Amino acid sequence: MIELNDVTKRYGSLVAADHVSFSVKTGEYFALLGPNGAGKTTIVKMLLDFTRPTSGNLSINGFSSTEAASRNAVGYLAENHHIPPHLSGWQYLRRCAELLNVNRSEAMDQCRRIVEQIGMQGREHTKANTYSKGMVQRFGLGAALVGNPKLLILDEPTSGLDPIGIRETRQLLESLKSRGMTIFLNSHLLSEVEKICDNAAIINRGKLLVKDTISALIRNGDTLEDVFVRLVKG
Amino acid sequence: MPKTYSPIVHIAKYTLTDEIRQKSFIVMGVICALAILLVRSCYSGNFMVNGQALDAEMIIRMVSKVIFHMIAAGAMLLAALLAMRVFKRDRDEGMQSCILSKPVTRRQYVLGKILGLWVLSGSFMFILHSIVFVIASINLKGVMPEYLLASLFCSFNLLFVIVAVLLFSLLMPDIIAFLCVMGIGIAGFVAEGIFALGRSSMGQAMMQQSGSQSDWTMGKMVYYLWPKLSGIRQFASSLIGGEGFQGFLSIYPFINILIYVLILGALLFWRFRNEDVI
Repeated sequence: MIELNDVTKRYGSLVAADHVSFSVKTGEYFALLGPNGAGKTTIVKMLLDFTRPTSGNLSINGFSSTEAASRNAVGYLAENHHIPPHLSGWQYLRRCAELLNVNRSEAMDQCRRIVEQIGMQGREHTKANTYSKGMVQRFGLGAALVGNPKLLILDEPTSGLDPIGIRETRQLLESLKSRGMTIFLNSHLLSEVEKICDNAAIINRGKLLVKDTISALIRNGDTLEDVFVRLVKG
Repeated sequence: MPKTYSPIVHIAKYTLTDEIRQKSFIVMGVICALAILLVRSCYSGNFMVNGQALDAEMIIRMVSKVIFHMIAAGAMLLAALLAMRVFKRDRDEGMQSCILSKPVTRRQYVLGKILGLWVLSGSFMFILHSIVFVIASINLKGVMPEYLLASLFCSFNLLFVIVAVLLFSLLMPDIIAFLCVMGIGIAGFVAEGIFALGRSSMGQAMMQQSGSQSDWTMGKMVYYLWPKLSGIRQFASSLIGGEGFQGFLSIYPFINILIYVLILGALLFWRFRNEDVI
């Protein structure tokens, strides 16, 4: 479903991605791990064509990431999600549905269902400037689910959420995975990743250090955190 | 609606509804409403010069023409004010990444923004012109349909201003982008005056005396190549005055602005395609 072939991204002298290649299969729950500034968000941005690679190519569902068609069945949640302050969560979800050409009645049904899924019933019609960071993040996740995407790209989805919110998000993502959705996750929460992901890749300073199944990464009785620290610290 | 146009229309709709809430739009709306209330009295007054009453119809036409120019200039100012922060606002409020993470091309996004701003500022100008049209028609006891047609012609200027400010806002700070485009408009207005003076018999005589004919030829070239924002306004207001159609000279400002819009539009698409979405 996702393919990265020898992708390099340079910002002047800074190398954010250094000849990175890996793939994510359909139905996989994949985590991209790395310390701050490792290049995780840059990879996500290249997948969505928010920034172009210096060399190499990326594709989603066989379409080059530079084609709009590659984003046909993709839901995206940004790390620091924002909602225009004058919109309500409901209006925001409706806009997302309109952009995906979801018809009116179907959009209403979907938005209603999503508001329940993200646990925001009763707050969907209040303006976004009254929302906490966690609530904005929940609506951001909701917006990513509009249009029933086949692939979810989530950049730190639990950022700003309280422990209950983290647990609810994990349960929601698990249920989405059980329905066959492919999930590409950028996260710092290694314990969460260890619990729910099938595969993970660790990158540092733009270089891919390892990509394997979670069970293979922690086979010697180590936790994912131990493996992560060992690989990143060299 | 065809799939290609659907996102453009949606983005235009969002732009329109989001920009209406902006302070600059509300402030301009209030200023224009007050200005129209104030000029209303000009229509009902009796004007005397050297003890002789002036022709009321002539006064009404003259006042309507002056207000026409004021509204057209105000709408250009509004379009520039709205356009200068539209990308930045969308980026800061997360709408840009929300829209572009969907199957929407960057070209559709930019077109949607242009369309939304154009419809908003064009409607703003047309509504104000319509109010003046109604006031003038009541006082004239007859209608001036050319007034509304002239308003539509002036919307070409708004398109130029929007495309230019959007492009410049990607290259320089917003306020500088705004000032640059306003500067282009003001320079064109001044050049129009100088050119009119140069064509007068007094101007011709002055140039012959000073022997600056070659400078004048150079100046003429710059004058014709400069964005003819004033030219379009002049042509539009000439319709109100019932002045004759001057052939190519009347059409030229439209061709000039159209070419500028196409060039600046192409540069805008190219620049935005290479822009990182944050």
